[in-house]
Amino acid sequence: MVVLEKDLMLGLAENVIKKALKKGVNEAEAYVYESQATSVGVERGQISKTNTIIDRGLGVRVVINKAIGFAYTNIIEGEKAIENTVLGASSAAKASKPDQDWNGLPEKKAYVTAEKIYDRKILELRSEGLVDIASSMLDSAASVNKHVFPIEGGVGAAYLSSALANSNGVEGFDRGTIIECSLATVAKERNTVTPVCFEFNAGRECNVDPVWVGKEAARLAVSSLRTKRIKTETTKLILTQFALQGLLQYTLINAIKADNVQRRQSPFQGKINEKVASENVTIYDDGLLLSGLRTWTFDGEGTPHQKTTLVEKGILRNFLYDNYAAKKDGKESTGNASRAGYLSTPSIEATNFHIAPGNKTPDQLINEVDNGLIIYYLQGAHSSNPVSGEFSVVATPAWKISKGDIKHATRGVMLAGNIFEVLKNVTTTANNQRQMGQLVAPWILVENVRVIGK
Amino acid sequence: MEDILSNVNEVAVQKFGAEYSETRAQKLHKTMLTLKEGRVEAAKQGIENGIALRVLVEGAWGFASVGSVDNEVVMNAVSNACNMAKNASSRVKAPIKLAETRILKDNVQIKPKKRPSTILMEDKINTALSINKAVLGYDKRLKVCTVDYLDLTGTSYFANSEGTQIKQDKLYVWSRITATASSKGVFTFSREEIGSTEGYDVFDSAPEVIGEKVASRAIKQLVAKSPKGGKSQVVLGPNVLGVFVHEAFGHLAEADLALSGGVLQNRLGKKIGSDLVTFYDDGTIKGAFGSFKYDDEGVPTRKTLLIKDGVVKGLMHNRETAQKFNVEPTGNARAQNFRVEPIIRMRNTFMAPRDHSLEELMEDIHSGYYLKSFRGGQANLDGTFQVGIQEAYEIRNGEIGAPVRDVSISGSTLETLFKVDAVGKDFELWPGRCGKGQTAFVCDGGPHIRVKEVIVGGSA
Repeated sequence: MVVLEKDLMLGLAENVIKKALKKGVNEAEAYVYESQATSVGVERGQISKTNTIIDRGLGVRVVINKAIGFAYTNIIEGEKAIENTVLGASSAAKASKPDQDWNGLPEKKAYVTAEKIYDRKILELRSEGLVDIASSMLDSAASVNKHVFPIEGGVGAAYLSSALANSNGVEGFDRGTIIECSLATVAKERNTVTPVCFEFNAGRECNVDPVWVGKEAARLAVSSLRTKRIKTETTKLILTQFALQGLLQYTLINAIKADNVQRRQSPFQGKINEKVASENVTIYDDGLLLSGLRTWTFDGEGTPHQKTTLVEKGILRNFLYDNYAAKKDGKESTGNASRAGYLSTPSIEATNFHIAPGNKTPDQLINEVDNGLIIYYLQGAHSSNPVSGEFSVVATPAWKISKGDIKHATRGVMLAGNIFEVLKNVTTTANNQRQMGQLVAPWILVENVRVIGK
Repeated sequence: MEDILSNVNEVAVQKFGAEYSETRAQKLHKTMLTLKEGRVEAAKQGIENGIALRVLVEGAWGFASVGSVDNEVVMNAVSNACNMAKNASSRVKAPIKLAETRILKDNVQIKPKKRPSTILMEDKINTALSINKAVLGYDKRLKVCTVDYLDLTGTSYFANSEGTQIKQDKLYVWSRITATASSKGVFTFSREEIGSTEGYDVFDSAPEVIGEKVASRAIKQLVAKSPKGGKSQVVLGPNVLGVFVHEAFGHLAEADLALSGGVLQNRLGKKIGSDLVTFYDDGTIKGAFGSFKYDDEGVPTRKTLLIKDGVVKGLMHNRETAQKFNVEPTGNARAQNFRVEPIIRMRNTFMAPRDHSLEELMEDIHSGYYLKSFRGGQANLDGTFQVGIQEAYEIRNGEIGAPVRDVSISGSTLETLFKVDAVGKDFELWPGRCGKGQTAFVCDGGPHIRVKEVIVGGSA
């Protein structure tokens, strides 16, 4: 795999800054991005496709009299393409309106290099290697039970790099790798099809475990073949990482973004140093987490990544800031400006949103539940009220726990409540932390959630 | 451009032994805006040019995407895609084959009244500002308003090794308006979207109208109460029905998901709903957000009958699934852009109207809910659906009553379609965006309908 070199990418970014300043803009920022991804796809029980994607581009942000313009291109060869992108950004800024709260692009700060995010072996994996990984995942799923049908999944390896420069002298280059294998399965028996059960394994280093992924996705599907109804009640839930990710992504993570607080669309407004969750809840945003899936040296506008304490034993301590929101509050950016590659301007996003694990094993957690449910997959979490935190979702499948044992699966159970109330009712956190998207968390046990049986 | 594409297909077939090869190219320009409380966050524009190619080698697909039209880069990608497909083919148990389709040559030009590229950025900003003003000026309890705007214009090219060559203009205009109201610790959230393939004309109707719609909903919800969880009789408005059709049935009628074990797999020709249930997926509606002339496999779009009077009549296909079902492809293969391969997607999906007025639908309901506007929805292969609602009311003794907050409905598709017991005579189509790994622009809709029983998710 031939990738763009550091010097070339940084050179391009610096060239853009020079060109933009020459055009008379007050400030300029250039972001150069490359991703190369190779994957092998599974569809309906077999390996049937391969993908390779090379995506490169440049995003330019300029400021003219406090008005901001942005332009991007995915063609980065040749002076003319660069010139046109700079012109595009500056004409957009001229058409735009001044923002009186604009207080300049970020200033230069020292970086702490993110560790364990790059593995040459991932770069060198060829399609033969990916086909082997996918095959062993499929074989291991098939070995569980003849009712298992893998519907889709695959193995993907990616290389990502970015270079950033701005007119305040900020300059950075970072690169990393990610490998992921995943499998979605159903189990089929006579006229019964189970809901989709999913597992995956992802990391920055080349050591995924496809056999575990295949087995676990199959085990969950098979165990949801036989279901029983449950009754409507207020009960205890063990939320696995799948469920937590769905519920928190659209609610808590939004509420803790400084721009939402400043815009008065967060229930956390004015609640710093107040209790917002049970004392069992401690949350960090850690952009430097060792081997984290969202770990990088700097954020989408060149601010160093850091570890920020957000909630400490239930007490709200800080918000997620980018440069703009931080300057508005007279604070320091927490390094949470995120970009969708070269296609967008930065916006506030969590890096590795880390809920601290506890001491109990998953089995001990289950043993603590006299009557309740363990929740994996949720339907409709994205339709939660993003501001108030109210949710009304379907858990399918979920598993009934009684007297400390997982008894049977159930389908189509609705859960309704408010995520901020749920956080106050966290009684225990387990020690089985894992990462899913931006969330790094263990299983958590909560009480007093309304469950509507079918 | 056409020459490059044909050349790629020739090389794939002649030099690398592909059974089939298709190449797509796009040259697109985008304009984007985000306004927060009237503050322009950034005026944005961009260019996305690239090539995607897909080859079938010994029964396995190879796909490659490059953001370049450089000959050497593209040739390298062809060789790579063919080799990778060959590697994968060693494990293929059921080799992929494609249904026959007509060989076509066409050049599709759109002639909009108002081409977005001819509208000044300043004017687009002013339109967004007037929407913002309509929202925030409606009531002082409205504190927050975000207006997003996107237009996308350009040309897409398609050529395959069978000789089909299509050049199509692309045009999408989209906007999303969200608002938050707060009072006494209660937060409400309201959203509307605008979407068209016709042109900037979609903004000709007064921006104030949509602004007020978003605003008044957020305000009404401030006094809404939590719904009672459990089974209930409901009336679905066209906006909620559309999402129900899309989520609860539409995804299951995508042939790839049906083949994956979805509940419609063995139900073609079978009755799965009441006599009142007739659904279509139609790519031919002029100006609708999900319309286009040819899909990304070069197949003409059409109006596809999915259910007639409760009986499953058809599924949505690409060429691969059409071959498996031995039917004609329906033109549902869509790719979001040159970075991804085409997959089966809906277009404009709706329920056909019947004969009831809204009053007639309501009059016999002693106690139930009127669900007017959706927030989101999701489906599962086993037929479990969920639709989250942003605007709902109680129905008491046949009349619309108090507003209800943050409700959602769920059920099993195969049970619920039999419970549709009255269908209205009105009709509305709503633009939306559907996620299935990729984003597709679609419309959903239909009339008002009455459903005997769904599960309502409520915390009370």
